[in-house]
Amino acid sequence: MSNAEKPQSFSKEKSATKTYSLVELVKAPTTMADKGPDDSIFSFPTVALLELLLTLGVIAFLVLFSLGVDAPLEEIANPNTTTDPAKAPWYLMGLQEMLEHGHPTLMAVGMPTLMVLFVMSIPYIDNVRKGSGVWFTSKKGKKVTRNTAIYTAVVMPAYIFLDSTFPLREILRGQLPDFILQAVFPAILMGAIVLLPVIVVWRTKPTPRELMLTLFTVLFVGAIVFTLAGFLFRGPGFELYWPWDMPGDYRPWHNL
Amino acid sequence: MSKLIDFVTNSRVWRSFFRHGWPDNPLDRSLVMTSNIFLHLHSVKTSRKSLKWSYSMGLGIISAIVFGILTITGLMLMFYYAPTVERAYGYIITLQTLVPFGQLMRNMHRWGAHLMVLVVVLHMARVFYTGAYKPPREFNWVVGVVLLLLTLGASFTGYLLPWDQLAYWAITVGTSVAAYEPMMGSTIKGLMLGGPEVGQEALTRFYALHVMLIPMGIALLTSLHIWRVRKDGGLAANAVEDGGSDE
Amino acid sequence: MSEKKTMSRRNFLGIAWGGSIALVFGQAAVALLKFIEPVSAGGFGGSIYAGKVEEFAINSINRILAGRFFISRTEDGIIAMWQKCTHLGCAVPWVEEEGQFHCPCHGSLYNEVGEVTGGPAPRPLDTFPVTIKSGEVWVDTSQPTERSGFDPSQLTDA
Repeated sequence: MSNAEKPQSFSKEKSATKTYSLVELVKAPTTMADKGPDDSIFSFPTVALLELLLTLGVIAFLVLFSLGVDAPLEEIANPNTTTDPAKAPWYLMGLQEMLEHGHPTLMAVGMPTLMVLFVMSIPYIDNVRKGSGVWFTSKKGKKVTRNTAIYTAVVMPAYIFLDSTFPLREILRGQLPDFILQAVFPAILMGAIVLLPVIVVWRTKPTPRELMLTLFTVLFVGAIVFTLAGFLFRGPGFELYWPWDMPGDYRPWHNL
Repeated sequence: MSKLIDFVTNSRVWRSFFRHGWPDNPLDRSLVMTSNIFLHLHSVKTSRKSLKWSYSMGLGIISAIVFGILTITGLMLMFYYAPTVERAYGYIITLQTLVPFGQLMRNMHRWGAHLMVLVVVLHMARVFYTGAYKPPREFNWVVGVVLLLLTLGASFTGYLLPWDQLAYWAITVGTSVAAYEPMMGSTIKGLMLGGPEVGQEALTRFYALHVMLIPMGIALLTSLHIWRVRKDGGLAANAVEDGGSDE
Repeated sequence: MSEKKTMSRRNFLGIAWGGSIALVFGQAAVALLKFIEPVSAGGFGGSIYAGKVEEFAINSINRILAGRFFISRTEDGIIAMWQKCTHLGCAVPWVEEEGQFHCPCHGSLYNEVGEVTGGPAPRPLDTFPVTIKSGEVWVDTSQPTERSGFDPSQLTDA
């Protein structure tokens, strides 16, 4: 009890119930042995201050942005009049854009479910410990990623544009069963677009990591392309327009 | 003055709060981390590599920060809102026109929500491209994917609450997509909307999901997520050198 | 010596307890699912009075806003169709100049009895059961019926 009077670190006090404590810091090999020089710093105060700064920065950014741009608010909801165009929130516009190109069960449910399952299973397919913690892991990984990204950024918009300009569904309506037009054709097309780079990379005897880089990049860049197409390039009637050249005074970014 | 500081920092009350001295030496700098529930999310020492901005870009921390901002602004908004078809829209108008800083509060919540979706997606891309999902971090990657889905869910359920045309038709279109799921589709849609179309029941349900269930899920899983990061040895950047030795 | 495989008391109790707890939680899960199942309330979702039979001219389309449906009358009878586009749920207006239902969202087209004539819609407009009591048209909006095509049996004699 007399400890309180002495200016001595409280932690050094022995407690009757606490059976462990940090007693001393020793300069000696630890479990980090054989793992290279210890290149670490005390988290306090550096990391704590960095995080404080980051917090202040994010708050400042949000406040300034919110002072400049108001959140949209349209007239009160009316179940009898649909807005034109009617769009989901921007992060779902990829899905809605997919719906334009095939049967909903395939495009809006099947493919996204497959995508999520694939993404979740990535670490179980590529379960090699090596190459963790480095951007793209290797030179080849970087190259594979770049080429796949360029390929996807070219092919996916082309697909969206061509399929909207010459929709097989309307051209062949009635001549072939709906199932083939809406489900089989789009599935084959999409599958081919996604798997082509995987096959190309496969022939170079890749590591699992490089395969994952290819497949993930196709899907990730594809998702970005579809989201942008749906969010920015679809105007009234869900037709394709340039974002700055929409008919009427509809501007996609007013509806965030 | 220094006598006063000494008196305060040596008082029983102060010492019951802080079980360490001023952190200007290795021992107290360790203790400040281990004895503080918030700081102990970090290890006592942090590797310089994992602090490199070009490695992580701080995206994970930023999403946690934005989630914090959303929690606070969301709580503020709850003071001026009721999830009823008749009054929800009127409340938003009141908030924007009469309540001091109401518009700012709503703007911050709205833009913050968009920002969080964006940052969480970028965080996932960062983790993937740096190979940080590799063992032993497989499970944490899965938790992260679930957190991304929960983030989308939080944003989507919040989208309906202003009850304007934008909200109404976005949710109508969004939930109609769910109905295409074979077998369970229309059941899922019914459970979400609580009726055949977007109406009072849907608003009530989305509100409950938005202010309670999903945020709680995010908070819980975020704790798990960060805890696993610590257990797995911090950011994967640390693993570069010892990665091979485990094989 | 009969080396019968016997279960120890401890194992048996363990399984019994585990099973019971699983059962209790399973039961709770089913109850929870029942709990959040939608219950139908009044207004839209109930029976709605559309009007007198003679108010609906032959070969005309009338919109009943309160019930969110269209009454279409042909030579053979009356059909009530939900205004909800079967594609993504937008409200489909009847466009008199085009003589068809034209959805503003993704351009789905339907004819006067709700058959798809264009666009991405996967099936015709859903219908509601119509009953005619002493010249009054009543529509039960609690049960939208999905159909794969139009059939004269879907019409109610008027």
